[in-house]
Amino acid sequence: MSKKRIIISAVIFAVIIIGLLVGIILTNDPNKVQEETIQEVMQDAVLHEHLKVSLFGLKDVNPGLIAGFIVTGVMLTFAIIVRIFVIPRFKLIPGKFQLILETAVGLFDGTAKGNSPHKYKLLRLYMFVAGSYIFVGTCFELLGIQVISTSGKPVTLGAPLSDINGAIMMGCTTYLFLLISGLVVNKAKGFFGVLKDFSLPISMSLRLFGALLSGALVTELVYYTKYTSYGLPVLIGIAFTLLHALVQAYVLTMLVSIFYGEATEVHEKKEKVKKVKKNKKELSSEV
Amino acid sequence: MKLPLNIDVQQILLHLFNFAILFAGMYFILYKPVRKFMDSREEHFKKLEEEANSLVEEGEKAKEEYENRLKSADSEINAKREVAGKETFAERERIITAANEEAANILKKARDKAQSEHDRIINDAQKEIAQIVNDATEKIVLRSDLDTYDQFINASKKEEIDE
Repeated sequence: MSKKRIIISAVIFAVIIIGLLVGIILTNDPNKVQEETIQEVMQDAVLHEHLKVSLFGLKDVNPGLIAGFIVTGVMLTFAIIVRIFVIPRFKLIPGKFQLILETAVGLFDGTAKGNSPHKYKLLRLYMFVAGSYIFVGTCFELLGIQVISTSGKPVTLGAPLSDINGAIMMGCTTYLFLLISGLVVNKAKGFFGVLKDFSLPISMSLRLFGALLSGALVTELVYYTKYTSYGLPVLIGIAFTLLHALVQAYVLTMLVSIFYGEATEVHEKKEKVKKVKKNKKELSSEV
Repeated sequence: MKLPLNIDVQQILLHLFNFAILFAGMYFILYKPVRKFMDSREEHFKKLEEEANSLVEEGEKAKEEYENRLKSADSEINAKREVAGKETFAERERIITAANEEAANILKKARDKAQSEHDRIINDAQKEIAQIVNDATEKIVLRSDLDTYDQFINASKKEEIDE
């Protein structure tokens, strides 16, 4: 890029920024009162008691569920497009996009094999789908898609798992997956081995919920005040969201992998060494 | 069923339904085909590696066989050389013996021929000598007879004259 072009670009950028700042100052209404207090905003972000969204007129649900459906739709659409247009053109020596897809599919192979060397095929599939759902779902928060709530107010769709029901679903499904795998591989022993960690679904659910909600709450706080809602969200919103999307996907898949390895571990029966009682005569002869 | 913290079992089930669809969809649409391709490629390269290994193994075997052959060829050549040497020596001996025999034969024949020639010459010479002697004797005899006769005639003629 030439020096002249750099100067022109910098001037255009500065003009846009100054224009935005002027706009912010001119549109500021000092008499305007916030409709919701920060407490109400935070409480609603956690509990979703007031801001509900109608699910095709059948039921009023939390925005997280709608976000979940949209994320699933986006992921499946992407998968269908890839299946139709990309996979048939796969080559032995992969291109960039093929390499990304193969890396994503094979991302959990090493972890799955390492933690459960004897049975890992189903585990790596579960890790792939759950990890993708958490990652894409958390990144979905960045889009800031708004829908109209049942109360008529717009509501921004957050991550599906920042909804407590979604987090409970993920925790319980994971626990159920571990229970069934333990039962199939190690019969009752594997089943009861997982069952004794009954706190696992609660801890998983609440940890997921807490982690994802905290990201959403920090973003809410930043956006609540007008003067922090410009510039700062670039760092807070994008960097934090991407970071905890990665971290949460990694943590859940790692936990699943470790517990799965324990549940499906094949215990080899140890042969009991029979103690041979020696006769007194043999003992005396040895002495 | 309404639970604290706005936990709703129906919504949990809806989330589960959503996740189940996602799980099945991702498995059949994306994960399985990509994994299948990756496995087939792994299989392909494993096959190629096996083929390469078997080729290397075959090459090593061929090399070993070649070296063995070289070694056996050396010993074979030595053995053949030895046999050829022996054969050559035997042939030489045979040729020399044959030559000696032939020479002896030739010599014998020559001697025989010379002897027979010698005998023939001697015989001829003897015959000739005998003939010569015969002739000479005959001549001598005949000459003496003539002389006597002549002397007689001459003497008779002389006497007649004298008379």
